[in-house]
Amino acid sequence: MEEEVEKAVFAYLRKKGFRLTEIALQEEQSRLSSDASSLSRSESDAAKYYDGYGKLRSWAYNSLDSYRHELLRVLYPVFIHCFMDLVAQGHMQEARTFFQTFREDHEMMHLRDLQKLEGILSPSHLEEMELARLWRQNKVKIRLCQYSYELLVQYLHKTQSLAMLGVINEHINFEVYPGQPASISDDSEAVSLIGTSQDLAREINQKELHWGLLEDSVEERMEKALSESDKTEVDGNKEADTEDNKVKKADGNKHSTAVNSKKKKDKVVGATGKTMRSESSMVSVPPRVKSELTLPQFPPEVEQSILEDLRNRVQLSSLALPSVSFYTFLNTHNGLNCSTISHDGSLVAGGFSDSSVKIWDMAKIGQPGRASNPQGENGSMQGMHSLASDEAKRPYSLLQGHSGPVYSVSFSPFADFLLSSSSDNTIRLWSTRLNANLVSYKGHNFPVWDAQFSPMGHYFATASHDRTARLWSVERIQPLRVMAGHLSDVDCVQWHPNCNYIVTGSSDKTVRLWDVQTGNCARLFIGHRSMVLSLAISPDGRFMASGDEDGTIMLWDLSTGRSVSPIIGHSSCVWTLAFSCEGTLLASGSADCMVKLWDITSSMKALKTDDSKSGPASRLRLLKALPTKSTPVNTLRFSRRNLLFAAGALSTGS
Amino acid sequence: MSIVPKETIEVIAQSIGISNLSPDVSLALAPDVEYRLREITQEAIKCMRHSKRTVLTADDVDSALNLRNIEPIYGFASGDPLKFKRAIGHKDLFYLDDREVDFKEVIDAPLPKAPLDTAVVTHWLAIEGVQPAIPENPPIEAIVAPPDGKKMDHGKDDSLPIDLKLPIKHVLSRELQMYFDKIGELILGRADTPLFKDALLSLAKDSGLHPLVPYFSYFIADEVSRNLNNLPILFALMRVVKSLLSNPHIHIEPYLHQMMPSIITCLVAKRVGHQISDNHWAIRDFAAKIVASICRRYGHVYHNLQSRLTKTLIHAFLDPSKALTQHYGAIQGLSALGPSVVRLLILPNLETYMQLLDPEMQLNKQKNELKRKEAWRVYGSLLLAGGSCLYDRLRLFPGLLSPPDILPWKTNKKIALTNLPNNKRKASSRLTAHQPPTKKLAVDPTGTNSQFPSTDGPATSSSSGSNPNHHHSHNSSNNNSSSTGNITNTNAGINNVSGSGAHGQRVAVSNVLRQAWKEDLDAGHLLSSLHGLFGEGIFSFIQPAEMHCFI
Repeated sequence: MEEEVEKAVFAYLRKKGFRLTEIALQEEQSRLSSDASSLSRSESDAAKYYDGYGKLRSWAYNSLDSYRHELLRVLYPVFIHCFMDLVAQGHMQEARTFFQTFREDHEMMHLRDLQKLEGILSPSHLEEMELARLWRQNKVKIRLCQYSYELLVQYLHKTQSLAMLGVINEHINFEVYPGQPASISDDSEAVSLIGTSQDLAREINQKELHWGLLEDSVEERMEKALSESDKTEVDGNKEADTEDNKVKKADGNKHSTAVNSKKKKDKVVGATGKTMRSESSMVSVPPRVKSELTLPQFPPEVEQSILEDLRNRVQLSSLALPSVSFYTFLNTHNGLNCSTISHDGSLVAGGFSDSSVKIWDMAKIGQPGRASNPQGENGSMQGMHSLASDEAKRPYSLLQGHSGPVYSVSFSPFADFLLSSSSDNTIRLWSTRLNANLVSYKGHNFPVWDAQFSPMGHYFATASHDRTARLWSVERIQPLRVMAGHLSDVDCVQWHPNCNYIVTGSSDKTVRLWDVQTGNCARLFIGHRSMVLSLAISPDGRFMASGDEDGTIMLWDLSTGRSVSPIIGHSSCVWTLAFSCEGTLLASGSADCMVKLWDITSSMKALKTDDSKSGPASRLRLLKALPTKSTPVNTLRFSRRNLLFAAGALSTGS
Repeated sequence: MSIVPKETIEVIAQSIGISNLSPDVSLALAPDVEYRLREITQEAIKCMRHSKRTVLTADDVDSALNLRNIEPIYGFASGDPLKFKRAIGHKDLFYLDDREVDFKEVIDAPLPKAPLDTAVVTHWLAIEGVQPAIPENPPIEAIVAPPDGKKMDHGKDDSLPIDLKLPIKHVLSRELQMYFDKIGELILGRADTPLFKDALLSLAKDSGLHPLVPYFSYFIADEVSRNLNNLPILFALMRVVKSLLSNPHIHIEPYLHQMMPSIITCLVAKRVGHQISDNHWAIRDFAAKIVASICRRYGHVYHNLQSRLTKTLIHAFLDPSKALTQHYGAIQGLSALGPSVVRLLILPNLETYMQLLDPEMQLNKQKNELKRKEAWRVYGSLLLAGGSCLYDRLRLFPGLLSPPDILPWKTNKKIALTNLPNNKRKASSRLTAHQPPTKKLAVDPTGTNSQFPSTDGPATSSSSGSNPNHHHSHNSSNNNSSSTGNITNTNAGINNVSGSGAHGQRVAVSNVLRQAWKEDLDAGHLLSSLHGLFGEGIFSFIQPAEMHCFI
């Protein structure tokens, strides 16, 4: 049938005298047939993949320096698909050898994925594993410059390695751009090739972001009060003065008088306040934004205490490093999963794998330095006392209610409430005054990895194994928003200081920023190479730091979505990150028993000048590394006065 | 193919009661089992991360199973890190020691002590960025460069360009100070306790003792001069020296010049300990060994170390006014440096010395028993030195012994010394037998002939210069024979028994062989001369096979 048609066509062409068309048709026909036959042959021959990939690899490694990194980028997807093709065709043994031979090349960039994919041993696994499915179903997009692309195509044609050609055709989309190849440092997109398409990220990151601080916050009011009392208006503040703000300005005046009277008492404090203000005006005052959530008002006495703290704040910089107070948990028997410290450092809470939550009131225990002694006495006395009196003698308050390991605890801003999340899929709210459970929030379907109170209280965000982050208010047992979009567990969550956004870090190696009002993803940060474990946002709301399982710390500009080049800050998991109150320092705590202090101001400046896309971005500057004796650092927290609190469980080691 | 072999599947199947599992099934199951294992492990790692741990526990695996809605595996609790044991005979196979527990035993056992309750303690990790030195913080390094000195330096630089050397403050940590005091106390007071042995071990092994080395070297010098008549303390000090020398973490080279005098004192002092009651010979032997080991180890760093040492020792040896004990020490020290030193420095002087020594040894001439005993000691050490030297010669050139070297004994196959106490002979022969060959080779100069190695050069010349009249003949013969390549045996001074006959036959031998024969002849000469001096005692140093050649 087909042949007849062909014959007819040829006859027609000849009759009309379309000689060139006829030749072209013939050529195409012959190529098609040869292609088909060779493809079918390659399927039967597993060694072709091995040889083809090996040759492609050595060719890419031997290519010109300026194009090499682009060409090497092609190797990884080819490698993965060759492996999967081999598995799909049932050549288990060959697939294994292939994988083991070439995996080393990609270990640095894609270790986690390789570990996952290594387990694939039968075609059914390809179907079952999500990562493999993603690879099979999506096309990888790779940006190449014109010349690199031509080089590649030329190579593929010249060597006639049809297996490679097939893989590349089938699974890779090339995005060719004219001009010179991009620099190596621009390689962030190479990290996560699959699943989160680069286009999507770009599109998301185009969205407008109001990263400024909340208008009418306590800090702002204090600043204003200071400036008014000095009669030197700062322009930035004036802009924020809108009609409806006038009322509050009067309010602010009231405060300013209070501040004035106190300022007379100690001029030093006022001076520090002034320097702080002048500094902040130098570093461009962050814009003010309105809150999208209805936020609670702080009671006046609380506000007073905040003001007091702000006045007594120690100015930190690369020259003035903070004092660090370390809370060490003893005798945890490997059971401490998480810990948190209240803003003033008076309360310390720990969540344990035996489902319990314990709160220590450091003020009650007495002087921090002598804290161990009364406890030691308690410990020796416990044997003699009955259980009832034991309850009273216990140096901590024990909160029992969860039915699975507790994975996170979080104090409300004034430490009157405590949130805990657990592997029993619930989040519980506890009152620290009553030492009792108030609410149990059910909504997640899987263990809740993280729960964080908002900076203003009342709201909290949670992250779970069910791949969602949820927003709750304390007075409702249903979540207000469900943020879905991550491709794997959401491992950590953090609030933006203006309460309009939350950021989440995930096992899919990305960080996302969500708008709490709409529940949409507002930013997508790609660059980590393993699961994101910790997040922190600078107090001015402009920068975000994230730490991952490998010890890498990345600093991001929220508005542009770009990052300062990542650094291997630690040799092990970065459990916690914290910005100092003015945002000049970043503290990081890790499983390698270190607290490290990083200089932010210098790298921020670099980031700002870097906006116009220049050379390689600068790195974070390490100011100080503080080793603990043998205590992994679980939690870090700067108090409002810039004292750094750290906590961790002493690991007995052997 | 997969990590899980199909045999494992079969075993598991049998353990749950499936006996007739077809091989196809196990082959198909094996990869799947591996896949599931990996899956669960990855989930477990996730749980581990969220528990803020870096060690995977059984609980994590349980949580991972829980996440997958699989019933957890019971019976694996892990409050503390699991203790894995290494399987004997396998390098990387570990197992948990999971004993079967008798139920009755568990019930009868008393309740275990309640675990300590969790507590929180606080300390300052840093105060304004500086870590305070408190027990809760990790220790700061032992030596901290004094910061004030540096600052002062900068200040001076600004004002005047004079290079002022500020006194360097040596900061010694408290721990090190206590350590030093403790060691000192042990040396002076309780050197016989087992604790001292541990201390020596610590000195020989521990790193971080370097800051103490100057103190130790001063201490040793001080105490040696003060306690010359207290043998136990001297012994303890020498053992400390030995330990310090063997510590791989210490750079002792800069302090050797401080230590050497004390050691040499122990070696060649006139009186060490109580002359009669104490066995001061032992400490001399010990010091000789230490000296030799120092020369071996640091000879290449201080090229004049050995020459200076040999000079000192040969002076002590050749000075007739020195006591016999000093002679003994010098001989021991020289012979410890190796056979070649003995050959070059002792043997040439041997004959004259023996003339000196002979009257001291004889009962009728030396009435003082103590003196006589000392003389015999010296004689023994000389015999040992000469013998080991001979042994070394013969061992180097075993096959080339010349048959015509006929010596005047024929019947005496029984090797016994009649005029030496038995125990001494045994000790000496044992010593030679145990001397490692490498040591000899290392010290033995390559040119056993005229080309003296540079280290020995000055010493030899000085020795020959110091007493030219006595030993000229022998020396010149040595030099002559080798430098000219002529084997003419002109020196009849010492040996008159052999060699001349041999010489006649060898004239035609090619040049290549000549050298070898010369060595051989050397050995022959050596043997004959030694025999002349020591009598049959020297034969104990010749191995039976070689002996045969001579006989």
